[in-house]
Amino acid sequence: MRRQIQWSACLVVGLTLFTSEFGLGQSKPKVAFVPQIVGIPYFNAMEAGGKDAAEKFGVDFVYTGPTDTNPAEQLRIVNGLIDQGVSAVSLSVLDASSIDPIIKKAKDKGVKIFTSDSDAPNSEREVYVAQALDQDLGFTIIDELAKRIGEQGTVGIVSGEATATNLNTWIKFMQQRVKEKYPKIDLLPPQFAGGTAQRAFQLATDLMTAHPDLKGLIAVASTTCPGVGQAIESAGKIGQVIGTGYGSPNTIRSYLKSGAFGFSVLWNPRDLGYLTVWAGKQLIDGKPFAESNAVPGLEAPAKYDSETKVLLLGPPTVFTKENVDQFNF
Amino acid sequence: MTWKQLARREVTLAIACVAGAILFQFLSPYFLTAQNLATILRNSIELLLVSLGMSFILATAGIDIAVGGVLGICAIFVGWSVQAGWPLAALLFIGPAIGTTLGLVSAALIVWGKIPPIIATLGLFGVYRAAIFLLLGGSWISGLPDTLGPVVNRSIGGLPVVGIYVLLFYSIGWLIMRWLPLGTAILATGGNEGAARLSGVAIGKVKFFVYGFTGLLVGFSAFLYVARYRNVETSTGGLVALDAIVASVLGGASVLGGKANLLGTMFGVILVRLLQNGFVLIGVPSLWEQVITGVLLISVLILDALARSRKRFLTVASP
Repeated sequence: MRRQIQWSACLVVGLTLFTSEFGLGQSKPKVAFVPQIVGIPYFNAMEAGGKDAAEKFGVDFVYTGPTDTNPAEQLRIVNGLIDQGVSAVSLSVLDASSIDPIIKKAKDKGVKIFTSDSDAPNSEREVYVAQALDQDLGFTIIDELAKRIGEQGTVGIVSGEATATNLNTWIKFMQQRVKEKYPKIDLLPPQFAGGTAQRAFQLATDLMTAHPDLKGLIAVASTTCPGVGQAIESAGKIGQVIGTGYGSPNTIRSYLKSGAFGFSVLWNPRDLGYLTVWAGKQLIDGKPFAESNAVPGLEAPAKYDSETKVLLLGPPTVFTKENVDQFNF
Repeated sequence: MTWKQLARREVTLAIACVAGAILFQFLSPYFLTAQNLATILRNSIELLLVSLGMSFILATAGIDIAVGGVLGICAIFVGWSVQAGWPLAALLFIGPAIGTTLGLVSAALIVWGKIPPIIATLGLFGVYRAAIFLLLGGSWISGLPDTLGPVVNRSIGGLPVVGIYVLLFYSIGWLIMRWLPLGTAILATGGNEGAARLSGVAIGKVKFFVYGFTGLLVGFSAFLYVARYRNVETSTGGLVALDAIVASVLGGASVLGGKANLLGTMFGVILVRLLQNGFVLIGVPSLWEQVITGVLLISVLILDALARSRKRFLTVASP
């Protein structure tokens, strides 16, 4: 008897799940986002933002992705979502070269497909929801640092791999900004630490030895942030040298609190997830993007470039001792 | 001092270190300061320990590519233990314990599985890298409390206390190599495994020892890593295996086995770190230091080959 009750309970729950999944009497359109990998804080934050937006704009949000960064698995999941009949599907692209067939399939089935967080620029995607422009990231870090060191002094750069295109682009914009706007800042040539905190620590320590008057240290790769922060603490240079970099709040929280890092610059993945779902809703409703879009629930308007079909989240977020505890990624 | 002594590898490397130091001091006033020299030593610690183990392995004609992965895994467990607030004794124990275990796994594949060391450890390296990702779940262990700082950052009479740990381990290594039958067995295994087996050397046991000992050293390095950087990222350990092989070979080890020079290894590491430090101090991009290290390594190997062929020629020529 008891077992029967258990079974029928299971059946009821299962049926409820089934009907809600396949929407008997479907009213809300479904917007899906497929991250590069599930279970990491960065994409968890995007998921949270997506959920908020789904509630706000009256859609169902589907979040599912591969458990490792496997492009084939990601495409299989996108394929499954299209077959299940979602109205719009977005993905953070793992392999831009293999995405064309799935985009064609989505279009044939009338499913809006677009990219977010990571793009396939040469594909036929509807739109790319971008987190931040490389130029903004490079300029912001220099502007914020200049403000804190009185627009003068020597500043060192510790980057990751010398071959990383995104890091080198950011460095190029930093150098451009210093050259154009801050003649009294001496930006040293970048040192490359590869992927480890240990080498970043070593380079940061050596830079502080070589330049006793060093005012700032920029950790470009997220892997170099802890090494640089730790080096400033170990050298007893908190207050004299301001560390900064493109580090997520969880990575650099303790260095912001100790004062080794003055600030860090990145975007807010929660807002990126929010904007992604909003963009999906716009596409489903067939509303075109304006040059500047006020998105209810986001502070800055999202700019749209119709030529490249890029919808931009807005200026990068600056994390400081004061606001860092509001973020968890 | 005779020419033969001068030709000893550790002497050559020591001279190279001094020459480099003079050059760097000439170009940067900050090089020869007590603080900077201590920095160089501190930054050599992990590599010194891993290279000591690698010298033992190379002496048996083996190789261990997996040490970077082992370091990463040990560091994760040390990091978690620090987070959990374990007592110092337990923190000291856990790294070497896991490291030794993983070292014995390598040895088991090589001895019982009869897989060539380079293949076995390359495979394990891949497994360990993936394990690190799975264990960390994409997010790092960061912002650890500074409970271990005093253990590693202290100095006694100007000498960083970590230097004493290293001297201790190198003394043990030297004792084994120079004075214990085990040392002879290690060199015999690498010199000619077949002959060693016929003379009654327990090849399997020797291999279990060298890989286990290396694992222990790597585990202790992981402890120091966490203590010093208070952070464990997915790339922890990285390609430390390659750096350790470079340092050992610079120091006089041969990838063909049968040779070990612990003092040379020590100077090899110091030379590499000294160059890295000096290049930053004189304002040269750090990429160049890799070029110099590569050129150094190749020249050393060419010199070795020349010396060997000359010796062989002499042996053949003599009646």
